[in-house]
Formats: sequence, C-alpha cells, structure tokens
Amino acid sequence: MGDFLKGLPSYNQTNFTRFHSDSGVKTTSRRPQVYLPTTDHPSEQVITTEKTNILLRYLHQQWDRKNAHKKRDTSRANLDDDDDSGDLTPPKKVPRLGQMEEGNST
Amino acid sequence: MAYNYVVTAHKPTAVNACVTGHFTGPEDLNLIIAKNTRLEIYLVTPEGLRPVKEVGCYGRIAVMELFRPPGETKDLLFILTARYNACILEYKQDGDDVSIVTRAHGNVQDRIGRPSETGIIGIIDPECRMIGLRLYDGLFKVIPLDRDNRELKAFNIRLEELNVIDVKFLYGCQVPTVVFVYQDPHGRHVKTYEISVRDKEFSKGPWKQDNVETEASMVIAVPEPFCGSLIIGQESITYHNGDKYVAVAPPAIKQSTLICHGRVDANGSRYLLGDMSGRLFMLLLEKEELIDGSVTVKDLKVELLGETSIAECLTYLDNGVVYLGSRLGDSQLIKLNVDADDSGSYVHVMETFTNLGPIVDMCVVDLERQGQGQLVTCSGAYKEGSLRIIRNGIGIHEHASIDLPGIKGIWPLCVDPNGTMDDTLVLAFVGQTRVLLLSGEEVEETELPGFEDKQTFFCGNVMGGQLLQITAASVRLVSRQTKQLVSEWKPPSEKNISVASSNTTQVVCAVGQVVYYIEIHEGELKQLGETVMAREVACLDVTPLVEGSDRAHLCAVGLWTDISAHMLQLPNLEPMHVEMLGGEIIPRSILMTTFEGIHYLLCALGDGSLFYFNLNPETGYLSERKKVTLGTQPTVLRTFRSLSTTNVFACSDRPTVIYSSNHKLVFSNVNLKEVNYMCPLNSQGYPDSLALTNDSTLTIGTIDEIQKLHIRTVPLYESPRRIAYQETSQTFGVLSTRTEVEDASGGSGTQPVRPSASTTALSTSVSPNKNALRSSNDSDGAFGEEIEIHSLLVVDQHTFEILHAHQLLKDEFALSMVSCKLGDDPNTYFIIGTAMVYPEESEPKSGRIIVFQYTDGKLQQVAEKEVKGAVYSLVQFNNKLLASINSTVRLFEWTAEKELRVECNHYNNILALYLKTKGDFILVGDLMRSVTLLAYKPMEGCFEEIARDFNPNWMSAVEILDDDNFLGAENSFNFFTCQKDSAATTDEERQHLQEVGHFHLGEFVNVFRHGSLVMQHPGETSTPTQGSVLFGTVNGAVGLVTQLPADFFNFLQEVQSKLTRVIKSVGKIEHSFWRSFNTERKTEACQGFIDGDLIESFLDLSRDKMQEVVQGLQVGGAIMDDGSGMKRECTVEDLIKLVEELTRIH
Repeated sequence: MGDFLKGLPSYNQTNFTRFHSDSGVKTTSRRPQVYLPTTDHPSEQVITTEKTNILLRYLHQQWDRKNAHKKRDTSRANLDDDDDSGDLTPPKKVPRLGQMEEGNST
Repeated sequence: MAYNYVVTAHKPTAVNACVTGHFTGPEDLNLIIAKNTRLEIYLVTPEGLRPVKEVGCYGRIAVMELFRPPGETKDLLFILTARYNACILEYKQDGDDVSIVTRAHGNVQDRIGRPSETGIIGIIDPECRMIGLRLYDGLFKVIPLDRDNRELKAFNIRLEELNVIDVKFLYGCQVPTVVFVYQDPHGRHVKTYEISVRDKEFSKGPWKQDNVETEASMVIAVPEPFCGSLIIGQESITYHNGDKYVAVAPPAIKQSTLICHGRVDANGSRYLLGDMSGRLFMLLLEKEELIDGSVTVKDLKVELLGETSIAECLTYLDNGVVYLGSRLGDSQLIKLNVDADDSGSYVHVMETFTNLGPIVDMCVVDLERQGQGQLVTCSGAYKEGSLRIIRNGIGIHEHASIDLPGIKGIWPLCVDPNGTMDDTLVLAFVGQTRVLLLSGEEVEETELPGFEDKQTFFCGNVMGGQLLQITAASVRLVSRQTKQLVSEWKPPSEKNISVASSNTTQVVCAVGQVVYYIEIHEGELKQLGETVMAREVACLDVTPLVEGSDRAHLCAVGLWTDISAHMLQLPNLEPMHVEMLGGEIIPRSILMTTFEGIHYLLCALGDGSLFYFNLNPETGYLSERKKVTLGTQPTVLRTFRSLSTTNVFACSDRPTVIYSSNHKLVFSNVNLKEVNYMCPLNSQGYPDSLALTNDSTLTIGTIDEIQKLHIRTVPLYESPRRIAYQETSQTFGVLSTRTEVEDASGGSGTQPVRPSASTTALSTSVSPNKNALRSSNDSDGAFGEEIEIHSLLVVDQHTFEILHAHQLLKDEFALSMVSCKLGDDPNTYFIIGTAMVYPEESEPKSGRIIVFQYTDGKLQQVAEKEVKGAVYSLVQFNNKLLASINSTVRLFEWTAEKELRVECNHYNNILALYLKTKGDFILVGDLMRSVTLLAYKPMEGCFEEIARDFNPNWMSAVEILDDDNFLGAENSFNFFTCQKDSAATTDEERQHLQEVGHFHLGEFVNVFRHGSLVMQHPGETSTPTQGSVLFGTVNGAVGLVTQLPADFFNFLQEVQSKLTRVIKSVGKIEHSFWRSFNTERKTEACQGFIDGDLIESFLDLSRDKMQEVVQGLQVGGAIMDDGSGMKRECTVEDLIKLVEELTRIH
C-alpha cells in the first residue's frame, strides 16, 4: 500500500536519525540567533530596471528592422535621440496620473 | 508633533515561504523559512533542525528562491520584497565569522503598472539564465543573470494575457521558456512562450492548451527526463508536455483546493501536494520507457497521505522528513512513513512550531490581579483556530518530577564526605523528615542516622564538614564522616523552637519572643547571644551580606502582632533599626540579599505582598521602602544563583524571580502555577537546577536566563473571530465560526466537517428561527457546498473549557462583541452584533444586536434588536451601547424594560468599521476614509463631528492614544498618528485631524488594545514612556506602541540614525526607505515614530560597534540625569543601560 513512499530520497543517511522528542510531539518556538551585519560588502552587481516604455521600445525595434537596409550611422543617431525622449516621457505621465487618481478618490 | 516608539514584542510566526538547498555550504542541507520580514536559516542534522541564523529584512518577503548558477559550489538566495527590492544573497563563513553578502541588489519597481491581483510571482530559469517576475498585469519582467556584467538590466516584456494565475520556467529548453495558466472571458488556458533576451520579446512557445479546468490554479514544471508541466486544478491534475497529455480527476482532491506543492525526487517523479483543509497528498508520475530509450509519463496517481496543519508551503528535507510551513496554524516537521498508522495516516508529526497568526482579535486581562497583563488572542483559522494565552515570564524546564504531597520545606545537602556537589535532598513534612538520595538522575529514599525524624525547619552543609538540622526540639550538628550527631543545642525552656535560620557558621532561632544566637564550631554549638523581642518572632534571617564571607553581622527579624521588621547586630543581638510595616498581615519570610553591590532587605507577607528596602550593612538602617504585590498567598523567599548572579525566588501562588538589572529590581513571573518551597540544587544528575514543590509534587528543573513570552494554546478547531473578557462570570466570550457541508439529501441539512469547540461544548443553544429575517425555504445549497455557522462561545477563564455554545441563525455572521453593564442595570452582559449575509447583497441590509447574560452556567438571551445593516463594532459608552452599523454610528440606551432604544446617530461614513472611546470622545475608523473624531453631548443627546482626517486611508485598526493623539493602522501595512488641533485659529483647521506621524510597520494590524505584558511598578518606572498600546497582526506578531517625551524621542532618533549607519542592511535596502509610509497613492518619510526593533538591536552589537554608535551622542539634562543637569558624552554603558530598560517595556 505504501509503495509510493518507498525509496524516498536521502541526501545524508544520518539526517534526522537522532531526532529526539521526549514525549510525543516537540513544540518549538525558539528562533535562531539574529544576524546583524556591520561590515559593508560592496555589491558585485547592481540590478537596474529599464525605464523605457515598452511601446516605445517596440516602435524602435520596428523602426530598426524597417530601416535595417539604410545607412547604419543615421539610424543609430536617430535611435539615441529617441531614446532620450523615451526616457523623458514617463516622468511627464506619472504626475498626471497621480493627480487624476487623487482627484477621483477625494 | 507626536512622539511614539514602536517595538515588536513577539516576532511574526506565520510562514510565507520555505526552500531547501545548500546555502550555508556545499555539503550543508539547509531549510530557509520566510516569516514576513524575517528569514530563518536552519541546518538539517541527525538531531533535527539546527538553527543557524535569523536575518531581518527591510521589507516584506514576497519571493524567496534558491538557485545555483553555473560555476558556483553552493546555492544563492534570491529575495524580492513587496516593495520591489530585489537582491541575491550569498552565505559566507570564515571560521566563526559569518556574513551574508549581498551579491546583487536593486529596485525593480515600474513607475506605472497595475499590481496583479494574484500577487507577486518570482521564478528562476532552471539553467539560471534569468529571473522572471510577474509584478504587474500585462507585463513580465526579466532579470538576465549575466555573470560578467556589473549591471543586471531588468526589462519588461508585454504579456498579452492580462490575468496570469501562475507561471513557471520549463526544464530542458534551449531557450528560456515559460509555461503559465491564464484566464480570459472563455475560461482558463495554458500557454508557453520562449523568451528572447536580445529582442526583449516573447516568441511563440512550443505548445499551448486552451480550456483547461476552470479552476486550474497551479502549474509545476517537471524536471528532466520527463520535462513538461503539471497543471493543478480544483478537481483534476493534468500532465502536459506538448506531445502528451495525461489527466486524472481523483475524487479525493475535490473536497478542497490544492494550494501548495513540494517536489520529492530530483527527477520529478513524486510531488507532495497540500490542500486548504490541511490534507497532504502524494502525486506520482508513472514512467513509461519508449523504444527509443526516452521516457515519458504514462499515468498520474494521487494518494492521500494524511492530515497536517493547513500548509502554506512545504519542502522535502531528507530521509522522508518534510517541513510544512503554515500561515493559519502551527508549522510542522513531519515524517512520511511507508506504513500507515492505526488511523490510516502515513504522516507522523515530529515537531510543531508555534504560530500566533493570524491574530484576529485579542484582549489583555490580568487574571491574577497582580499588575501584569496576559494576552488572549483569537489565533488561526479553520481547523487551526485556537485561543492563545501569552504571558511574559521565566520558564522552568522540567527534568524530573515525583508525586509527593504535603512538603513543608526542602534543602539540598552534600552528604558524601569527599563530595563537592549536592547528592541529597531533605524534605520536611508535618511531624517528619524524609531524605532522598540523588544518584545520577535516579532518586531513592535513604536515612541519615544523625537526623531527627521530626519536621525540619532548616538544614544544610555547614563549616568543618558538618551537617546541620534544626527541628522544633533542637539544633543538631551531624558529622558528614560518621553521619552521627556530634552536638545538640536545646532551648533552655521546655518550649519549642518556632523559627530558625542559619548560614555555614551561625544559627539564629526563636522560641516565642526570645531569639538565640548560636555559633557553629567543629563538633560544637555555642550559644553566644539571647534577646527578648517585643512580640513573637514570625521570621528570621542571617544571610551573610559580604560576598564570599561565611559570617553575617546582621540578623533580620520579622514580628507577629505589631507587624514590624527589626535589624539586630550579631553576636549580641543589639537592636539597630526597626521598621513598622503597617497593616495586619504578618511577615512570613525575611531575607537579606545583595544585588549588583546594593544590599537589600526583602520581607514577604502572608497576603503575597513584598516590602523591600535598601539596607545599610554597617548601621542596619533601612531606607527607600517599596512594596509590590507578587501573589495572594503567604510567600517564602529563597536565594539561588544563576549565571553567577544572585536571584531571589519568591514561592507563592504566583511564583516570581527577583533580580536586579541596572540597579533596579526586576520582578519576573515564573511560568509555573504554584510553588510552595524551593531550593537550589547542583547535583551530578541535575546540575544548576532548582527543586520546587507544590501541594502535590516535587519538581526538579532548570530555569531560563531571561524572561520571554510564554504561549499556551487552547485549540478550538474552528475560526475564532472576537473575544471579550467578563470578570463577573469569570469567563471569556468568543465569537467563532465553524464550517459545515450540505448533506447529500439535497440541502435539507448540513453536517459539521469535524468536531470543534461549538459542537463539543458542555451545553448548547440555538437562536430561534422565528425571527429569521428571511423565509427559510431558501435552502438552495448544493450537495457538498460549504457554509459557515457562527456561534457565541462562553469559555471558562481558568480551564478554558467551552462552557456553552450558542449558535446563530443561518446566514448570520457574528461580527462584534462587548462585555459590559448598561444603564442602572447591575448585570453584566455579553452583547454581540451580527449581520445577515446573503450572496446577492453587496452590503448586508440587516443584522441584530443580541444581549446575553451568562449566570449559573446558563446563557440567557435578555434582549434583541434588529438593525438595518451589519453591526461591525460595539463598545460600552457612558453606560450605554455604542454601535457602528454599516455607515452609521449609533448610540443605544438601555431602558428599564431591558430594551435597546436609539438615542442618536452619526452618518458621515462609508463603512464605520471600528470604534474606540475615551470620555465623551469617539474615534471612528472608516473602511476607506481614515478616522473621524466625534464628541457626544450628553445634555443634548447628540453627536458632534469634531474633526476628521481627510486622507484616503483604508483602515484596519484604530486606537486613542490620549486626548489629542490618535493611532491608525491601514491596509498597506502602515501606521499613522493624527492630532487634534484644539488651538487652531479657524474652524476649518480645527476640523482637520492633522497627520503628524507616519511609519511603515510592514505588518497588517488587526487589533489594538491598551495594556502591557510586563508588571507595572509605580515606584520603578525606569523609562519615561507613557501609555502602552499592544497590537496583533495577521502574521502573528505582537507589538507595542508607547509615547515618549520630546527630548527622549530626539535622543533616540539620533541613536537610530547612528545605528542605520553601523548596521548594514541585508539586500542593501535603506532603513529610511523601509520605514517610509507607503501606499499605492503616496510615500511619506517616516516621522513621529522610533523603530524600537532597530534601537534594541544595539544590544547585539559588538563592543567596538557600540562605541561607534555612541560616538558624539550626548546625555544629561532630561536623559539619564545624573543630578548635575549638565550634558556629557554618552558612554557605551549609558546606552546599554538605556536600551536594556527599553527592552523591559515588553
């Protein structure tokens, strides 16, 4: 009947073999010692998140594909310009959205 | 400005997530548990789980995953907080030096985007090429795991499918591929996408499956060799890999919903599944080998293993042992057995881990009336529902106990002439003495020939290798070598010795009014002094005051009749000082002791109260008299040493340990019901132990070093919702809910799913249906449908037995309760508020207020009032009943006919969920319109809206701190305080409750209660804190908010800012970011609150780091005034002392 419980994986045969509980179930509320870091380890890597709007990114990609046969230099120059404006767009939208929400809720 | 201090008294215990892997070392098998903001790291060992470290995060942990990038020898931990801080952590150990290094960190929040209703999902590609995050609807965020780039540039991919239920990375794919379940208007479907990092786009995945089960809620990616995925639904489990499709619908899983899974085998052939009702299943993938040598899934098998706590997450550890984390009840360590036990279960519970969450309601009561509150919480839900009794105190770990009634005294002895440790216990009984020999852990009765078999008053080892026994008849000196009597002193008159005390060289004993002083010499007892006291002697002490000295120069005496304490000089017994104690209760125990270099005289009376004085050892002069109440019964004081410091044990019906910290006496409850006598014991079998006796038992145990919260559980097996204490009937009222299932007969009746508090109570009653606010022929429940039955339980305050259960109507939800008196009526009532809840109504349109009285073991309904809405809150107010009913705040008066009559209303709310009152003021907490302050005009009989906070806060709890300050908890895990501005010049300004404090707690608070968990001593207020409000949270945390004076607040704020510089955050999240008030709408810097948890972590710093913190801090003036009023540099000791005192407020 309990065949499906046979051969349960074992990483270290001795684990839990000396588990000791005096009277039935052991109840525990103790916690490990608190780790309190005081030395600074500089991060090897920084996680950043792309600020570009995904629609703009999509349009750029389409533009790149369409203009792939054109001269590289110009397309790249355009891209850089557009990138800047792409970065500027979201901050303009955010406050407006925020205002609208506040206006709605009050 | 408001000055508040917030601190955690009990850390969160509900488990959100758990993972297993090799984190602390390549060979270490670890279990890592996330409890809201805390990570706990354990090591799997032969003895079980060994705690390694607890790590506090500055954020609520939303995602926790272990992964092993190529080239690493051990696993890394990916953490994402609810406020979108992502980090990758590595555990580094160099000898004893442990550090958790943040390898990568950053915030992945988008400025726009709608947070998904199904929560944050974080997944890691099996080949560690990327981390995938589903944070917002319609977007999938990818963090590419480039090893060489200094910057990990996360990007969003548009996801057409807006409503994603679950998503995973598939195994064995050339290109990272996700599989997900999503919902659209037609139903639920499964789809796969490949992720192109270069194009930052999804491309068509290898397969999809439209129209899977409508309740499909989980997808599991199966590792090689099978690959593909498992789709878990309400009724069915499907394996799908694009080519092959195997579906099963085992009847066993239909009863509930599967909510979590854990892989057992590395090859994915077995999975554990846990459901909402706490059942554990094993899912087997049966293998089929094809001719070409590849393997595929032939069939799926599901087996019920047994019942556990309701699991939130589970993870297979090793050798058949599984950790099961729970949010609704205690977490467990379970063992899977190949053979079923008698009840057919393959599950054996090895260990349970206490969880208070979710704390739905709580009350603070002082059942023992000794100035220390204990907390009774409504904890857990469904079958895990329980009451938890939480009290602060010192724990005794019992090692042995013997049933021995009638013990009148107990002393340890070292009888073996060459022994150094105790080997004998002497027990006094009425008229006799028994001697117990301790050999190892064994105890056997023996005899000491030199001892007299009468009731011993005192005994002990004394100088010269001798033993002393004092009985009513004589003082006996016995040789340790021969065990024979060597000297005896008898009182000159024929009268008996009434009380005696001794140290190793001196004896004092009293016969009536006469005190004798005797010195102990080798083989000889010499009487050197004698004096007659004014009254009969009640108690005596000759404890030497000088450390290491074996001689006392003072003798303390307590007298009958005039109730006085006398200090006598030895050896001539000259009176030095008299202190009249007053009252009529005789002193029962007197003791001289020294704590931290200060000498004290303690004198305990027959009513459980204790006087204590500073004692001048030269003059015997007593000063700084103070009094505390420890218990209600005669108290016996005994000294013992623990960790080389002196402690005094006060034996009574409320045993207490008295010690000193920062030169102030601390009284700590001992977690035992009653102790009549105690003595220290240091034997081979029981080193550094205590022997304690009560009326029936002798117990040997060891004692905790520090006081902490002790939790007692009273399981209800159903969900408790509200609790109220009623002193007159010595009961608690508890509102609770059980689940019943519609019968097979088609809705004619329902059956409870399991026996629970409301079905197993000593007596039961049911609300008569005549008042049903709706016809009763609407029994439209289908077979198997679950319904909730609400009851009022009456629970005994001592035994926690369910005395009575009163069941409410069908569809009637119990929402609120108060225990109070009304009007001139002398009776105390349990009053409950309910709502009739029908699925078609968006808000309840009707409800009841029902007044019950519990007397002589019977619950009687005294009155009932139908109201037009849900009664969310009830409080006693001006001897009347204040209720919030949907949007209305309404005051009822109690008429002579015992009816509730409406007096006045206030309407200006959306849903008035919470009410708190102080004097004539009412604080209303609204569903979404923050808090409003009302004043009741008793003369006019009306409410006036004084002021309102106009910020859109969705409230979860409110409290009145004082006349002007109000505390709110809202549903984005923040606290705020509001202040009434009575001095404002314009009406408009006065009508504004100014938000003056903001704080991100990171815990969802359900309840605030005024009260404290520590003993209150008016004379010993060590910290300048004012008031104490306890709070209970969904994750089972208990915390405290208290108010501080401005200068103390400013000082602590300075300490806090220095600590944030010294203590580095794991994951590099700024403390100021973490504690800033944050909702979807706004973020405000933390102000008006001190983070007590950060302040207390000062005590865990190394000395040099402490020094760094105190650098430049100044004390003096109002803070740590040394009398000079001058400012001076703060030392490490100053700050330790100050922070230690702050830790003692909880």
